[in-house]
Amino acid sequence: MEQSFPTIVSAAQPSLGARLTSSETHSAGQEFARLGAGLGLAALYGLALGARSGGVALIQHALGASAGLFAVGVLGIPALFVLLALVNAPVSPGAMLSAGARSLASAGFVLAGLAPSAALLAVTIESPDAAAFVTRAGLTLAGGIGLFQLTSSVRAMLKELPPAPRLKCNVLLFGFSLFAIMLAARVWYTLPILKGGA
Amino acid sequence: MNSPVFQVFDELLRSPRAVAERSRAGGDLRSLFVAALSALVLGAGVFGATLATSRGGLQLLYSGVKLPLSMVATLLLVVPAFHAIAAGLGRPLSFSGMIGLTLAAAGRGAVVLVALSPLVWLSFDRGLAYHPGVLLAAACYALAGLAALDLVLRGVGFDARGFVIVSLFAGVLLTTGGQAAWMLRPFLGRPSETSVPFFRQRESSFWDAVQQSSLSSLGIYRVTRALSDAGGRRIPSQPNPSGPRLENSDEPR
Repeated sequence: MEQSFPTIVSAAQPSLGARLTSSETHSAGQEFARLGAGLGLAALYGLALGARSGGVALIQHALGASAGLFAVGVLGIPALFVLLALVNAPVSPGAMLSAGARSLASAGFVLAGLAPSAALLAVTIESPDAAAFVTRAGLTLAGGIGLFQLTSSVRAMLKELPPAPRLKCNVLLFGFSLFAIMLAARVWYTLPILKGGA
Repeated sequence: MNSPVFQVFDELLRSPRAVAERSRAGGDLRSLFVAALSALVLGAGVFGATLATSRGGLQLLYSGVKLPLSMVATLLLVVPAFHAIAAGLGRPLSFSGMIGLTLAAAGRGAVVLVALSPLVWLSFDRGLAYHPGVLLAAACYALAGLAALDLVLRGVGFDARGFVIVSLFAGVLLTTGGQAAWMLRPFLGRPSETSVPFFRQRESSFWDAVQQSSLSSLGIYRVTRALSDAGGRRIPSQPNPSGPRLENSDEPR
């Protein structure tokens, strides 16, 4: 009797990072899942920072780290969509949701990647100023990458536009970038480690 | 000797591009892991022990153990950051490929450290003092780091985006590696210390030391609380041991 063996097909599974930062558009549910994953991953960075004092600070920092990204997602990205729609930019709610989810997931993923280093630094650095500096550097790096992803995705949607409307959109995108930086900074500056505490 | 491990070891030195491509492709990376990890542990161990020849004795063993330990610990901490930064900037690699790439780069750097060890040993043997010795060690780390980053750059792509990814990663690596090594000091051993401790007492941080040394090199000296309490009196050029002290008069190295 001939015995058959299942063939193992070594289809390379995309890594978690590749899935979270992929430019492919998915269904709304999948995009919300991607966004949620990003926020959850950002909380890991907060936990690492909270390890400096432990206890309630763990929760405070975990919530605070995610809250900065959440604020940009809830307050910034819908506003950007409305403004771009006002100048007749070819953007759809689904495409904006995808771009937003991708950018927040990227930022959250970078924060999670930095978490092991942040834990070492937060726990072992004595000076509050130095700890705050390292924290700010991590948040800036992750926020910068998230913003880069968002602006790249939106600019890709504007490729077909004539120069004049595209310029308007780029100005709006620049203004949004400044607003997003200020908003995230406003929320992140509530972290006790950045106020010299914890 | 035709073992795959030895082949990879040879590749680490001669063809970083092939090693980078192998890491990027994924698949069976066992021989790469073994060769790179061996190179890292042995290379860093030899260099650590060489640094300790300025002091000798038990410090040789301690530094030979602690330098590989600090490098491996740093790698464990920074690989997730590297993976995330590369993915966030549009160059996602598999996590195992990323580990292979980073390990290979660290192994390559460690082999460069081995090559520089005779020079370091000779310098200490000819009477190189403690502080120039620290600078020589830093220069060796910089050279080894460049050889390692060259391999990493080939792995993520030799272009502007690859350069940005590697620069950001280098920033994370420097901060984390600096602090990890700081916690495992001493590697050379202070000449003033009578005994050889495995770990030095916790003193500020790598970052604080860099900041303090930078200020000192500009001629700016911070004063301790004891001095400010003294009402800002002028500091004598040869401070009295019982009087107010400059904060960095016993600056940790």
